[in-house]
Amino acid sequence: MYEFEYHQPKSLEEATKLFADADDPQFMAGGQTIIPVMKQRLAMPSDIIDLGKISDLQGISVDGGALTIGAMTHHNEVAGSDEVRKAIPALAELASHIGDPAVRNRGTIGGSIANNDPAADYPAALVALGATVQTTSREIAAEDFFTAMFETALDEGEMIVNVTFPAPEKAAYEKFPNPASRYATTGVFVAKTGESVRVAVTGAGACVFRQIDFEKALLGDFSPSALDGLTVSTDGLNSDLHASAEYRANLISVLAKRAVKHAG
Amino acid sequence: MEKYGIGQPVRRKEDVRFLTGTGTYIDDIKPDNLIHAVVLRSPHAHAKILDLDTSEAETMPGVLCIVTGKDWVAEDFQPMPTKSAVNKKIDGTPLNQPPRHAIAIDRVRYVGEPVALIVAETLVQAQDAAEVVEVDYEELEAVTDQIKALEPGAPQIWDDIEGNFCIDFELGDKEGTGKAFETADHVVKLKLRNQCVTAAPIETRGAIASYDKDTGKYFLQNATQNVHANRDTFASVLKIPSEDLHHMAPDVGGGFGAKNSGYPEPSLLLYAAKKTDRPIKWIGDRNESFAADTHGRDQATTVEMALDKDGMFLGLRTRTVGNIGAYCWTVGPFTPTGGSARTQGGPYYIPAMHYTGIAAFTNTMPLDPYRGAGRPEGSFQIERIVELAARELGMDPVELRRKNLMPADSLPRKTPMGLDVDTGNFPEVFERTLKMSDRAGFAKRFEESARKGLRRGFAIAPYLECTGGGPKEFAGVKFGKDGSATLRVGSMSTGMGQETSMPQILSDTLGIDFEKITYVQGDTDATPIGGGHGGSRNMEVGGSAVLQCAREVLVKAKQLAAHLLNSNADDMELKESVFTDVKTDQNVSMADVVAASFDQSRLPDGMEAGALDTDTIFEREIISCPNGCHSAEVEVDPETGTVQVEHMWIVDDFGTIINPMLADGQVMGGVAQGLGQALMEEIVYDEDSGQLVTGSLMDYALPRADSMPKMEMAFYEDAPTAKNPLGVKGSGEAGCCGAPPAIVNAVLDALKEDGVTHIEMPLTPEKVWRAIQDAKQQGA
Ligand SMILES: Cc1cc2nc3c(=O)[nH]c(=O)nc-3n(C[C@H](O)[C@H](O)[C@H](O)COP(=O)(O)OP(=O)(O)OC[C@H]3O[C@@H](n4cnc5c(N)ncnc54)[C@H](O)[C@@H]3O)c2cc1C
Repeated sequence: MYEFEYHQPKSLEEATKLFADADDPQFMAGGQTIIPVMKQRLAMPSDIIDLGKISDLQGISVDGGALTIGAMTHHNEVAGSDEVRKAIPALAELASHIGDPAVRNRGTIGGSIANNDPAADYPAALVALGATVQTTSREIAAEDFFTAMFETALDEGEMIVNVTFPAPEKAAYEKFPNPASRYATTGVFVAKTGESVRVAVTGAGACVFRQIDFEKALLGDFSPSALDGLTVSTDGLNSDLHASAEYRANLISVLAKRAVKHAG
Repeated sequence: MEKYGIGQPVRRKEDVRFLTGTGTYIDDIKPDNLIHAVVLRSPHAHAKILDLDTSEAETMPGVLCIVTGKDWVAEDFQPMPTKSAVNKKIDGTPLNQPPRHAIAIDRVRYVGEPVALIVAETLVQAQDAAEVVEVDYEELEAVTDQIKALEPGAPQIWDDIEGNFCIDFELGDKEGTGKAFETADHVVKLKLRNQCVTAAPIETRGAIASYDKDTGKYFLQNATQNVHANRDTFASVLKIPSEDLHHMAPDVGGGFGAKNSGYPEPSLLLYAAKKTDRPIKWIGDRNESFAADTHGRDQATTVEMALDKDGMFLGLRTRTVGNIGAYCWTVGPFTPTGGSARTQGGPYYIPAMHYTGIAAFTNTMPLDPYRGAGRPEGSFQIERIVELAARELGMDPVELRRKNLMPADSLPRKTPMGLDVDTGNFPEVFERTLKMSDRAGFAKRFEESARKGLRRGFAIAPYLECTGGGPKEFAGVKFGKDGSATLRVGSMSTGMGQETSMPQILSDTLGIDFEKITYVQGDTDATPIGGGHGGSRNMEVGGSAVLQCAREVLVKAKQLAAHLLNSNADDMELKESVFTDVKTDQNVSMADVVAASFDQSRLPDGMEAGALDTDTIFEREIISCPNGCHSAEVEVDPETGTVQVEHMWIVDDFGTIINPMLADGQVMGGVAQGLGQALMEEIVYDEDSGQLVTGSLMDYALPRADSMPKMEMAFYEDAPTAKNPLGVKGSGEAGCCGAPPAIVNAVLDALKEDGVTHIEMPLTPEKVWRAIQDAKQQGA
């Protein structure tokens, strides 16, 4: 690790100002990604701005049909929240399978989506549920938020404040964990809301994407068998040490069917 | 005394320390004036060092010393020795052993090879300086696969060693085995691999070195499994007498073979400590552990079995090519040769056997023993070929095994591999395992799995292995006036619990209070010799030394007791910590005898104060043969290829069990590592660049608690060995001999309707899924 200045602002304004005044600043949520990267000396921020003490970034609330989760909410809080379990059980379930207990106690939804790791779980939930990301300057629809591998629509110094999820009729997430890291080798989030069905896939490509042909098939018939016979193209799918594109294509089919089966 | 006696499940004394965070591992030690080192390592698998410029680094803040290959040449420091017990090729010429220096001189041969040691006041300063050391490399072509390394035209790792060839070796009756194959009704052949894995101990390697210029002595505290042998290695490198190096291991957080050897770093640290006149600490990080801890296994093998028409085994022929990495490490060439040969054929009666092993150099981190070192490989080879034979002959794999096990009355027997199998009852152990496995309930469980769309399979894998490691061991006891005793032993625990089990032996034999025994290990000043830990030798050799020592103490204690009671030593009987004269019923307690041993007025002529203090050296003559049987039931998800090991049943014959709780722990740990090898672990190098792909825990999969099956374990204790006074057979490595074949064969059993006959380890979900797809296509 290189040396850096550490700050712990109490408000969004203070954080924004600290960011603007520093040379090469970085926000820090739970440090689950940024600290290992710094320890490896792969990042050398001049200033670390710890968002842990900003109350505007905390908390889970329900308003009508929508669930809002503050950016600094830890995965274990989402997993254990009665509000989340009631409104979108699939989301609580997803959070409960992120990494391991230590990671869930420190990692946050804001840090996860800001990082946009291609194998992260939350991006699939945001895209499938049609969530909205509230930042310090605007609202961004989930689909516009995740732009490319490790990249998002966030501008320099723009902070995620919270994420709002409309509650679906039915939803489920199926994850095939990487045996080493337990990130998603492939994960499929399926959500049915009124006249819309969304199938979002994470872990399989460079960035979360929707499986449009699956969505169409499920729109008429929301059952696993509706996906019979549909094959997934390997175009654009990752091949790495743990899974080839072909295997990931198979996982997308298998997991999507299981998610539809389990959606409640 | 009963409570702490031999055979009792005494809880581990050391766990209080380990579990409350009060252990003393190397990084917990912080001497005054401490400075820090980092190792700059080769980023290339194979390259010439054209230039190495440390001038800028030397001017960096806090930098005290930088060690490079130039220093090594200038000081004429010596290469580290290899002590492979197999050291001659088949043609009688010595093995090809290139010089293994502690630091690269002018060429690097694997990713992670030390190129410079940078020492600074703080760790961060050392890291900063390491970044500006300029090394000009000329990259060379690399080869990381042993089969490719032996092919003509392969990149040459050593200029003067042709074809990357280290050694070849054979054992057994070549001609007789050939005949068995000629006359056989059936011949079954299989190519398979025991892939490259790493131990990944929870504590990475690390050391603290210092030098006392007044006495001219060095002091090394080191996360090692073997203080004596490695002291000698470092001393020989630095050309100093061994007595001038005091080597100590504090609490060590796991070794599994990866902390056996004399690594490069300690010599570099010792040299730098003298130069800077300051104690220096180096702690390897997790990436260094993956890149620069010795790896294990990595054998490519062809196994052939000859059978008669009834399925009786006639002959076994095995040919293995082992990767040993870029250098002969400490005993690297032994594993694929002698180490894998001895237990070939497992517990089966096979009249004719022949083994050929070749060790080849590649551009990978060198290999050295990893839990079992050759025996798990052999066990996997025989169990896979037997399973395949059953498949090809259309026989029940359980029945085929049953009829070919060495009958109980065939023991003692020397196998065609020269292994001296003295005691055991393989059929009995096999049947007990089978009985535990609830075969009757299988059909129902199979149906339940099928209902969920899953396959279920079962396999049984008897194993026979052997111990190893240094044959000699020291044990010494020193008493205190208060009845306390200090037990010093040259073998050592890296977490296995000898701090508990060794005092159990002493307490049991001498009736001294378990709680009052202090255990000392891992210190070259405390013990004149020591074989450390390796080859499941701790209890076999170290425990036997403790018993021998205790018995010698007992002889003296009886004499003293007799003197105190005015009677005969021969009439003394020790029971529940009291010596009683069997004739007169007079008695004196062991505690009083100890107290008397410090009081000259109570001692007989010829005994001096402290007369009970005893040092002894035990020497093992013949290695013992732990054996047992594993069975496994697995569930396979054919849609994703995921394997869950549901249940394992294990019966082990480790001879006498000193502490069943600790022996259970050894089996469970061995199963975890065996399961890791069977299903997920693999060290992967990029074929073209030679880069290490699995360089972190994000890429190298290790089993977690939820990967583990239910385990039921039992011991067969009716066949203690006479090869050592305790009757123990060694329990440390057995788990990873039995688990891989049991698990892999159970998966193949689950997939037999799919037509899958073989999958290479590790059986990752993708490989299992692909095997099903391929079989489907072939079937179509
Ligand atoms: C061993 C391990 C296993 C894991 N397994 C999984 C898994 O299975 N599934 C999964 O989805 N994830 C997994 N993760 C990721 C983890 O869940 C975290 O979500 C992720 O590491 C981000 O951590 P963090 O929230 O602490 O953010 P940090 O590491 O603190 O920050 C990450 C990035 O986000 C930025 N950032 C943080 N908060 C904000 C904000 N409010 N606004 C703008 N930018 C912000 C930071 O500047 C930084 O660039 C794993 C991580 C580890 C270490």
